[in-house]
Amino acid sequence: MSASYAIGIDIGGTKVLGGLVDEGGRIVHRARRDTPDRSKSPRVVEDTIVSVVDELRAHAADPGGHVSGEVSAVGIGAAGFVGADMATVVFAPHLSWRNEPLRDALTHRVGLPIVVDNDANAAAWAEWRFGAARGETHLVMITLGTGIGGGLLIDGALHRGKFGIAAEFGHMQVVPDGHRCECGNRGCWEQYASGNALVREARSMIAAQSPVAADLAVRAQEAGGLTGPLITEAAKAGDPTARELLAEVGHWLGVGIANIAAALDPGRFVIGGGVSAAGELLIEPARDTFRRKLTGRGYRPEALVVAAALGNDAGLIGAADLARSTTR
Amino acid sequence: MTATIGIDIGGTKIAAAVVDEHGAIVEKTRTPTTASDPDAIIEATAELARELGSRHEVSAVGVACAAFIDRERSTIRFAPNISWRDTPVKKLLEDRIEMPVVIENDANAAAWGEFLYGPAHDRDDMVLITVGTGVGGGVVIDGQLLRGAFGIGAELGHVRMVPDGLLCGCGSRGCLEQYASGNALVREARELVRSSPTMARELVRRCGGDAEKLTGPDVTEAALAGDEPAVELLATLGGWIGQGAVSITAVLDPSMYVIGGGVVTAGDLLLEPASRAYHRGLGGRGFRPEATWALASLGNDAGVIGAAALARDGNA
Repeated sequence: MSASYAIGIDIGGTKVLGGLVDEGGRIVHRARRDTPDRSKSPRVVEDTIVSVVDELRAHAADPGGHVSGEVSAVGIGAAGFVGADMATVVFAPHLSWRNEPLRDALTHRVGLPIVVDNDANAAAWAEWRFGAARGETHLVMITLGTGIGGGLLIDGALHRGKFGIAAEFGHMQVVPDGHRCECGNRGCWEQYASGNALVREARSMIAAQSPVAADLAVRAQEAGGLTGPLITEAAKAGDPTARELLAEVGHWLGVGIANIAAALDPGRFVIGGGVSAAGELLIEPARDTFRRKLTGRGYRPEALVVAAALGNDAGLIGAADLARSTTR
Repeated sequence: MTATIGIDIGGTKIAAAVVDEHGAIVEKTRTPTTASDPDAIIEATAELARELGSRHEVSAVGVACAAFIDRERSTIRFAPNISWRDTPVKKLLEDRIEMPVVIENDANAAAWGEFLYGPAHDRDDMVLITVGTGVGGGVVIDGQLLRGAFGIGAELGHVRMVPDGLLCGCGSRGCLEQYASGNALVREARELVRSSPTMARELVRRCGGDAEKLTGPDVTEAALAGDEPAVELLATLGGWIGQGAVSITAVLDPSMYVIGGGVVTAGDLLLEPASRAYHRGLGGRGFRPEATWALASLGNDAGVIGAAALARDGNA
C-alpha cells in the first residue's frame, strides 16, 4: 500500500529543515542543510529548499524503501511576515528579506502545490491537529525563542489577519517607553518574555557581579558564554537565581496572556519554543500572573495554559499538514 | 422581510427602536433603568418590546447590554451595571415577548451596526473601539463577530497599557479604559482645572469654577472652539487609543479601526492623534500594509441598530 505524504520545510536563520510527514502528523524521514551566511540570499534558500524537497521525494519514491508513497504538497514555514496570499514573504528581519515571492519562485522548480506560512502559524496548526490543543477550536500558540512568535486559531481556522500579519504577539506593547525593540517600537512584549530577555537579565546580574548570580557566572564561564538553555539547566538543577529569572519571564508571559485573553478570549494557550523547555518553572508563574491579571476574573471561565507537545518539530509538521489540507 | 426591534440596556436608560432591513430606525423610544432591580429591567425591556411590537410588524428582538455573555448567547454571566449573575436573559425575555430574542454584548452590537451600515460597510473586517464611560471593543473578522471560546472576546478596554497603572473596575491595573475613556478625559480635565486654573481658564469658565461639574461634552466643545488645553486632553486620549491599537494589531492585524462613542463629536481632534500614535508605534512599520482609521457614523444608535440586525440575521 502506498502512503500519502506532504513535505514540511522550516527556514531558519542558519539552516533549512525538511521532513516527510504522513497523514497522522508523523515525520517519517528528515533532511537538513546548513545555509551559511544566515540564508540571506533568497536564491540560496530557494536552491536549498529544492534540494531538500528532491531528497525527500526521492526517498518517498524509492519502491524498495519502507516509507514508499506519494508526495502531494509542500508547506514552508518562515519566521517573518507572510502575506495573506500565503505565497510572499513580506518581511523577514532575520533573513533581511522584503517582498520575496517565494511560492512562485519555487512552484515551477518543484512541480507540486506549495503553501508558505509564518512558522508560528504552522506550529499552532500542528499543536491543534496532533499536539497539545487537539479538540480546542479557539487556540493561541505562543513560541518563546529569541523573540516571541504566535499563531492563532479562531473557530477552527488559522487567523492570519487582513494583511497576513496577525498573531505577532511579541509586538504588543506591555511597557510604555520600555526597552527598545527591533521592530522600531518600545516596550514590546518580546523584550520581556523571550529567550533574549532571559539572557539579557541574567547577563546584567552577572555583569553587576551580584553574589546571587555566582552559580550562573561559573556555569557561563565553563560553557564559554551564557545562553538560555544554560539558565534553564541551572534552574532545573535548583539554582534559585536561575529559577527567579525564569519566573520573571513567566510573569511577563502571564501579563501578555491576560492581554490576549481580553482581546480574544481563547480556550487554551499553548506555550512552545526553546524557552518552554523550562516547563513548569516558566509556565506556573505565567498561569499565576494570568489568573491575577485577567479582566473580570471570577466571573468567567478561564483558558488553560499548557506546554506545547511537539517541540521543535511543530513547525515542520504544521507546514506539511497545512499544505496538505490547503491544497487538497 | 420584516423589521426587527433593537434594545440597548445602558446604566441609566433602556433605548429601544424598530429598525428596518436597511438599518434605518422607524421608531425610537426609551425608559429609565432601575439598576438595583434586575427583575424590573427584564420587565421594562419586555414592555418596550411589546409596546413597539403592538405598533409595527416585527419578527425578532435583539438586546444589547454591557455584559459577559456565554458562548451560546443565552445567559448573562456578569453585567457590571446591573445585578445580573448567571441570569438566563434570553429565556426570561422570550417567555415574556413571544418572539425570538438574541442577546449580545453592547460593544459587539455597536460594532455589528457600524460594520453593516457605517464606515466598514464595504469591508469584511473591522475593529471598533468605543469611548464612553468606559472603553468597549468589537471585532469583526471575515464578516463575523469575534466572540471567543467562552463568549467574552473583544474586551479591548481591558488590554493592559501601564504596568501597575491606575486601578480599574475590572480588578486589574493599567487597563486601556483607565486612560482612553470618557471618565479618563473628565478625570484629567478636572485635575487640570484644579491644578492649573490659569492655563485651563476656558474649562474653568465652562464649569463655573467647580471642577466636579465639568463634563466630557464640556471638554469636547472647548476643544472644538479651539481651546488648546482641551485639544491637548483629547490628543492624549487619542494617543492612548492609537497605542492600544498597536497591541491589537500585533494580535489581529485588521484593515480598519473605527472609533465610536460620545467623544467622536471631537472628530479629527480625536482621530488624528489616534492614527498618528498607531502609525508611529506599529511594529515593523514601513514593511507592512497599515490599517485605515475612521470615525463611527451611527452615533448613539449603533447599539440598537446592531442589535436589531443581529436579531434579523439570527445572530451572525
